[in-house]
Amino acid sequence: MAYDLIWLILLLLLPGIALLRRLPVYDLFVTGAKEGLRVALQILPNLAAMLVAVSLMEATGLTAFLCRICAPVLTWLGLPAEIAPLVALRPLSGSAALAVLEQLLNQYGADSRIGLLASVAMGSSETIFYTVCVYLSSCKDRRTGYAIPCALAGMIAGLWTAGRFWR
Amino acid sequence: MFLQFLWFALVGLSVLYGCLNGHIGDLLPAALSGTGNAISVTLNLAAGYLFFCGLMEIVKALGLPKTLSRWLKPGLKLLMPKLKDDEALCAVTMNLSANMLGLGNAATPYGIAAANRLDVLSESASHSRQALYMLLILNATSIQLLPTTVLTLRIAAGSTNPNLILMPSLVSSAVSTVVGVLLGLLLAKRTEAHHGV
Repeated sequence: MAYDLIWLILLLLLPGIALLRRLPVYDLFVTGAKEGLRVALQILPNLAAMLVAVSLMEATGLTAFLCRICAPVLTWLGLPAEIAPLVALRPLSGSAALAVLEQLLNQYGADSRIGLLASVAMGSSETIFYTVCVYLSSCKDRRTGYAIPCALAGMIAGLWTAGRFWR
Repeated sequence: MFLQFLWFALVGLSVLYGCLNGHIGDLLPAALSGTGNAISVTLNLAAGYLFFCGLMEIVKALGLPKTLSRWLKPGLKLLMPKLKDDEALCAVTMNLSANMLGLGNAATPYGIAAANRLDVLSESASHSRQALYMLLILNATSIQLLPTTVLTLRIAAGSTNPNLILMPSLVSSAVSTVVGVLLGLLLAKRTEAHHGV
C-alpha cells in the first residue's frame, strides 16, 4: 500500500512541481524516453547471446545439475535451489542474470516464493565484476585491492537477508 | 575478454552435458527459443525503459540528483574520512545519488571521473586509494532505491502484486551495502596501519 505512494509522487507530484517551475515536462519525458529506446536496442543483442546460453543450459539439463550442486549453499542462505544460476551469474553479467530471472518468473510465476526471491536477489545486487572494470577503465593503477571481496561478502549478506522473507 | 570466456563456458558446457545425456536434438530449438525470447523480453524491457527513463529525465531536470548529493556529503565524510579534495568528493556524491535514483546511465560518467581523480590523487596520498576502493564497494553492492527493471519484468510476467518485492529488496540491498562498507573500512584501517600512514 505504502508503495503505491511512490507512483503518486513520481507521476503526479514531481511532474506537477516541474510544470510549476516552467519546465517542459512533455519534452523532458520524450528526451528521456529516447534514451530509454537506445538502452533497449543496445540490450537486445546482449540478451540474445545470453538467452541462447541460458536456454541451452536449461534444455540440456545443465541448469538442473547446477542447482543440485549448489543446493546446500542456497539452503544455508535460506534460498530455494532453483535460483542458483541467477545467484551465480549475477556478479558476472547483468544480461545473463536478467535472462535467468525472466526464465524463473515465467517458469514458476512472478508471485511464487521462487519468483519473489529471484526478484529480490536480482534487485538487491549488482554486476560486481563489470562495475569494477568499467569504473577503473581509465585509471592508471587498475588494482582492485579488497574491493571485490568486500562487495562479494556484501552480496552474500544481502542474499542471506533476502532468505529471511517469505519463509 | 572475460565475457567471451563466460559465454563460451556456458554454451560449451551445456553442449557437452547435453551430448552426454542424449539431448543433442534439443540444441538448435533451445538456441532459437533463446533468441526469440530475447525479442519478447526486450519488448517488455523497452516498455519499462521508455517509461522510467522518461520520468527520470524530469527527476533530473528538477535537480534531485544534485540535492540528494548535497545530503550525501556529510555521510561520505565517514566513509572516506581523509578525503578533502572537492573535485573528487563532488564526483563521488553525484555518482552515488544518480545510482540511488536509478539513473545508471548518468551515474557511470561521474563514477569514472571520480575513480580517475582518486587514482591521480593516490600517487601522492595513499588514503585516496582506500577511498577509491570504497567507491567501488558502494557501487558494486547495489544502492538503487527502486529496482525498475525487476518491476518491469514482474509486471510482464503477470504478477498481481509487483510492489511486494520493494521493501525486501531495499532491506537486502541495505544489508549488502552496510556489510561491504564495514568490511571495507576495516580493511582500509588495516592497510593504512600496515603502511604506517
